[in-house]
Amino acid sequence: MARSYLFIPGNVPRMLQNMDVYDADVIIIDLEDAIAIEEKDEARFLTCEFLRAHRPENLPILIRINSDEDSLMRADLMAIKGLDITGIVLPKTSLAQLERFTSMKPTNTTDLEIYGLIETPEAFFELDKIAKHPRIKGLMLGGEDLSTHTNIDKSLDEIAFHMPKSLLNFAAKAAQKEAIDTPVSSLDDAALIQGIKQTKTFGFDGKLAIHPNQVPLINTHLAPSKTAIHEARRIIIAHEKKGSMRFSLDGKMIDKPIIQRAQKLLDKAHRYGLLAGDAHAL
Amino acid sequence: MRFKNLDALLDALSLHDQMSLSFHHHLRNGDAVLNLVLEAILHRGYKDLNLYPSAIFPIHHTIETAIKEGKIHNITTNYINGPVALALKEKGLKGTLKMQSHGGRARAIIEDENTIDIAFIAAPAVDEKGNASGLEGPSACGSLGYVIEDVKHAKTKVLITDYTVSKLDNPQISSSDIDYLLTVDSIGDASGIMSGTLKPTNDPLNLKIARLSQAFLQASGMIQENVSYQSGAGGTSLAITKMFIETLKNQGLTASFFTGGITAQHVQALEAGLVKDLYDVQCFDLTAIESLRKNKAHHAISASDYANPNNTKRKIKDLDIVILGASEIDYAFNVNVTTDSYHTIIGGSGGHSDTAEDAKLTVVVSPLLKARLSLIKKSVSAITTPGEHIDVLITERGIAINPKRQDLLKRFENSPLPIMTIEALQALAYQFTGIPKPTVKPKKIIGTIESRHGQKLDSLYGK
Repeated sequence: MARSYLFIPGNVPRMLQNMDVYDADVIIIDLEDAIAIEEKDEARFLTCEFLRAHRPENLPILIRINSDEDSLMRADLMAIKGLDITGIVLPKTSLAQLERFTSMKPTNTTDLEIYGLIETPEAFFELDKIAKHPRIKGLMLGGEDLSTHTNIDKSLDEIAFHMPKSLLNFAAKAAQKEAIDTPVSSLDDAALIQGIKQTKTFGFDGKLAIHPNQVPLINTHLAPSKTAIHEARRIIIAHEKKGSMRFSLDGKMIDKPIIQRAQKLLDKAHRYGLLAGDAHAL
Repeated sequence: MRFKNLDALLDALSLHDQMSLSFHHHLRNGDAVLNLVLEAILHRGYKDLNLYPSAIFPIHHTIETAIKEGKIHNITTNYINGPVALALKEKGLKGTLKMQSHGGRARAIIEDENTIDIAFIAAPAVDEKGNASGLEGPSACGSLGYVIEDVKHAKTKVLITDYTVSKLDNPQISSSDIDYLLTVDSIGDASGIMSGTLKPTNDPLNLKIARLSQAFLQASGMIQENVSYQSGAGGTSLAITKMFIETLKNQGLTASFFTGGITAQHVQALEAGLVKDLYDVQCFDLTAIESLRKNKAHHAISASDYANPNNTKRKIKDLDIVILGASEIDYAFNVNVTTDSYHTIIGGSGGHSDTAEDAKLTVVVSPLLKARLSLIKKSVSAITTPGEHIDVLITERGIAINPKRQDLLKRFENSPLPIMTIEALQALAYQFTGIPKPTVKPKKIIGTIESRHGQKLDSLYGK
């Protein structure tokens, strides 16, 4: 479970070298859309050589592979064979795409987590099955492609984009998988904060980032606030004292879902080092 | 005495071989005065000149030519950037090159170590009485802080201007200190003098350094009511200053003063009531100049009142925090901002060693890797600022506290910040760069770096 998933292009040495400096919870090295067709080999080579020599410790790394052509996907899988990565991001995920990927030879990537990038309208008609696929670790919303395929205005104020967000989060949560929101393409902080607010409103666990400067805001805003941590702690302490799943606190009725939510929030805060005694992430 | 012709002025001056000439650098890379004057003097055949420009920029090609022709004996300055540095490395001087700090230069002039025969003073505006100011005219540069000691102590003082007005309200230079006035068509190119707006960095690595710096300053306990602060005008420094000012605002604090080079950021903080006074030895942008004209709490100060170590009223004596850069730093925290690893001069102290020595907390910020080399060396190529005056190094990958600051080490003992030894930080850099072969120090010494107190800190080398 992570807050920020930062895309970095696989053919930019400076970004590869500094991937662990950007403070992202997860790095996604992109071999797909960020790389021009004539630079695919270079990106693949650079990424793999870098990770063999300098893989940062304790940093989950995903690779977004190519999916449109069998030859590109196969070349990617050949290249990442044996590489110490956490998983892959599978573009245009559908059941058919999953089948194509998992059966593609040669590959020994069976232990890798798959994050399904949901960016086609077809995927929404089988979202529950995709989410429940045993290899799927989480679902990511690919807003740009989805917008292109559906003519939906991706502008954050457009209510039409709310449905795919809700559906994706519901499917992920029903399958107990992670739900990760689409990135904000603007590099303006105000637009990003508005986007993150929506990410929270729709219940996503994390958010994609397309620039390192987006990471600190995502990490800050998707982590539980001090006030929320304080409230959750009070609920858990009261629950433990009373030994009951139903009690009142400050004139408000507390019951099981609220207690569970408070515990989840404290777990999350602990994960990000925000509780007293945790190592604080900057 | 007033002149409208440079030759007539030079006829009136008592020129001779081996004379000492000073110039100031407030017009930065837009300065036309140094080239104009020096060229004419060299044309008259004078040789073995001793130059005291407060800084040398790429535009100063006349010095480069004169060095190559062997007409310069000594150069004493605070900063060199551009072709003159290469000429010095290639050819050297008959005499020596001395690199001082801003405070050290002021001290040396006052104490007669830098003896100046003629100070040629580019003056953006002069009034009918002969008073001068940097606040008006097409080449306005704001504060004239670095020239004030030249004006007071040179044997002969010459104002050179391209803009005259009937009366200046608050002149920075008084006509009573001036011997000659020369009016010329232009003293400088405005585009090389001032930046429009200086912006904080947008580079993710430098922003990381800024965030770590801000977190460190916050945790150091130094950000309190009446804190005083100085930083440079580079993108990372501007980002740190922006965060520092936001912290003042968020915590309801007011700083006592900001000093050094002043930018729009400092002015905005002044106008928002977040800092009481600005002590300005050099304006870095147009907003700072405008503020110096209108804000009473924005004061132009001399280099001596800024940083002269023997001036008990110097502002930086009361400085709490200074943010500085480095081109190299070593295990002993010695900092080099004067040369690159090949001993070519790329800058100089400016106020680096002055503020480092005086400030209560001296923070050096820099990317860990520079041009594919580690910032951290076993020993620096040249010592600009001794390590004993540096408290902490902050890079994007970690923070190293100077062991002499046991109080800080103790304070940050259980800090979540990435505190490590400077050697450990270097090891992180070496993971990417490998261990470089040691460079061989050239044999030919062309000059020295001097401490603000006048002692030799290190040598400068030629080819």
